[in-house]
Amino acid sequence: MPDFSEIFSLQSILNYNGGCVVAMRGKNCVAIACDLRFGVQAQTISTDFERVFEVGPHLYIGLPGLATDTQTVFQRLQFRIKMYEMREGRRVKPRTLMAMVQNLLYERRFGPYFVEPVIAGLHPTTKEPYICALDLIGCECEPEDFVVSGTCSESLYGMCETTWREDMEPDDLFECISQSLVNAFDRDALSGWGAVVHVIEQDKVTTRYLKCRQD
Amino acid sequence: MALEALHGITRYHSKNEMLRDEMMIPDMENLSNQCQLAIPSIPKGEVNVGEYLVDETGRKIKLNYAHGTTTLGFKFDGGVIMAVDSRATSGQYIGSGNVKKIIEINPYLLGTMAGGAADCTYWERVLAKQCRIYELRNRERISVAAASKLLANMVYQYKGYGLSMGVMIAGWDKKGPGLYYVDNDGNRMPGNAFSVGSGSIYAYGVLDSGYSKDLSDAEAQELGRRAIYHATHRDAYSGGIVRVYHIKEDGWIKISEEDCKDLHYKYADEKSAFS
Amino acid sequence: MSHLQSIMVQKSDDDKMHQLSSNLIMAVSGEAGDTTQFAEYIAKNIQLYKMRNGYELTPSAAVHFTRHTLATHLRSREPYFVNLLMGGFDPDSNTSELYYMDYLAASVPVKYYAFGYGGMFTLAVMDKDYRPNMNVDEAYELLKKCANEIKRRFIINLPKFRVRVISKDGIKELPYVVAEGEAA
Repeated sequence: MPDFSEIFSLQSILNYNGGCVVAMRGKNCVAIACDLRFGVQAQTISTDFERVFEVGPHLYIGLPGLATDTQTVFQRLQFRIKMYEMREGRRVKPRTLMAMVQNLLYERRFGPYFVEPVIAGLHPTTKEPYICALDLIGCECEPEDFVVSGTCSESLYGMCETTWREDMEPDDLFECISQSLVNAFDRDALSGWGAVVHVIEQDKVTTRYLKCRQD
Repeated sequence: MALEALHGITRYHSKNEMLRDEMMIPDMENLSNQCQLAIPSIPKGEVNVGEYLVDETGRKIKLNYAHGTTTLGFKFDGGVIMAVDSRATSGQYIGSGNVKKIIEINPYLLGTMAGGAADCTYWERVLAKQCRIYELRNRERISVAAASKLLANMVYQYKGYGLSMGVMIAGWDKKGPGLYYVDNDGNRMPGNAFSVGSGSIYAYGVLDSGYSKDLSDAEAQELGRRAIYHATHRDAYSGGIVRVYHIKEDGWIKISEEDCKDLHYKYADEKSAFS
Repeated sequence: MSHLQSIMVQKSDDDKMHQLSSNLIMAVSGEAGDTTQFAEYIAKNIQLYKMRNGYELTPSAAVHFTRHTLATHLRSREPYFVNLLMGGFDPDSNTSELYYMDYLAASVPVKYYAFGYGGMFTLAVMDKDYRPNMNVDEAYELLKKCANEIKRRFIINLPKFRVRVISKDGIKELPYVVAEGEAA
């Protein structure tokens, strides 16, 4: 049996597989990006593990944390979103998604899913940019500038605090979020090995894969 | 002597005394004798530097040394190859990406670094001094066997006090190429191929499948480089730059220092061209 | 193929692979008892699915079912401690698939993988020599290399490895890979 006493502290569970997500607000656009590593502690197993998912029109959610819960939470969330859309006959809005995620996570208040979600999207009618981060039991945080989550969140905060500017155009936003993410995870042993960036604009979403260090 | 007295210069009986006076410190410890480290006042088995550090909430902070590493060395007909990565981590944080993990002891001897970075640099620096003194006393270069034995004896004195090092000492002496593994437990062994560190398990995979005595120089250098590269790819705590050294009869030469990123895309291109 | 009990080799021709359907195999490692119980539970349910519906689950569907089962049990009072690899051939899309799944029920598609300490020695060997377009003979040679490396460096004696090939023609057994060379 695995040594549960060693892995049963909260930090070490969140850092077990590695990975990070960052989202940023721009001028009439938002961007969300993640790394691609899936590992078990020191061992890198896969380098195409995407932890940011499309869940609606102009709406993405990133789920860094324990990989099994990344998958479980995404699948359960997708189920709830589809039920919502069938019952309501309309697509889900960013803040509604946030409330759904809160609900889903708080259901497991006493045995939580080990993920700290990040949501980025545009409101379907007003086109208002929306970014949000939650902790693992669903406490939301909706700042004006950027949100970070995952194993290198400290480095990400440092990068984002210095590179983020108000009202960036999509191209500048892409450059800003890419540089922040790549330079942050290059200082982290447990994340990296590739990155994917989604820039969400009113009329389109651009997805780009970044060429990164592979060590 | 009279002239000194006339000018009021105090005559010191020994160099030690003079230094002590100048620095106003009670005793010399390892300034005069590098093998004399301050011994903690608690019993030997309980020594753990990490225990002394406490965070703001009073919890103990685990002191992280540069444990994550991949180093390797192997002997072949053309000499000894040593190859290392360059990543230093404390916990999951990458403190540095271009550490020199091969220590150039003298033009004929190299040492590698795995375990505690401070332990390795300190003891290998002391070893460098000992080797130079040996040369001056005996008018010949120290053998690899003797050099590694000096190191093993020095660190064995502190067995149980928490030193952390797993090093390879390699060089060329009268007997030809030499390669020894020395660690803080007191192990010291000669061998044809060693790999040390968290990535060693991966490095061995590549090293063993490509190793033979009669490799050409270029093949051997490439084997070392590839073994380290594959270890950096799989092991989170290894990475940065792959440094390769080659020890031949007339001393060591630095073969290459290549970024893992460049190596990865070079090898990926080669593989896709082949398949 | 070795089954180890305490410090003894209990069985030297153990079959750690379980056939789930005509073109799907699951190889398991982990806690004794959990491994066979879990593998058989999955195998029988996949066979039941075929009986009920008249067609088999695709490999990826079977993996999702397995992951769901393992993930549900993970948050129960008695989680299974099972690591597994699932290999299958999908006749509809004409593709071969291999999935990694650990006891936490994290599952990812991989090109190749090996669990455990013994497996770690072989990962770099496969990283170096694996190519996606290898034929069966080349793949078999690579497995031999891996077995030799385990014999060379791993402290535990694992001399024989069972090999099965899954292709569009179903499942075929190849001769055992027997480790050659000397221990280091």
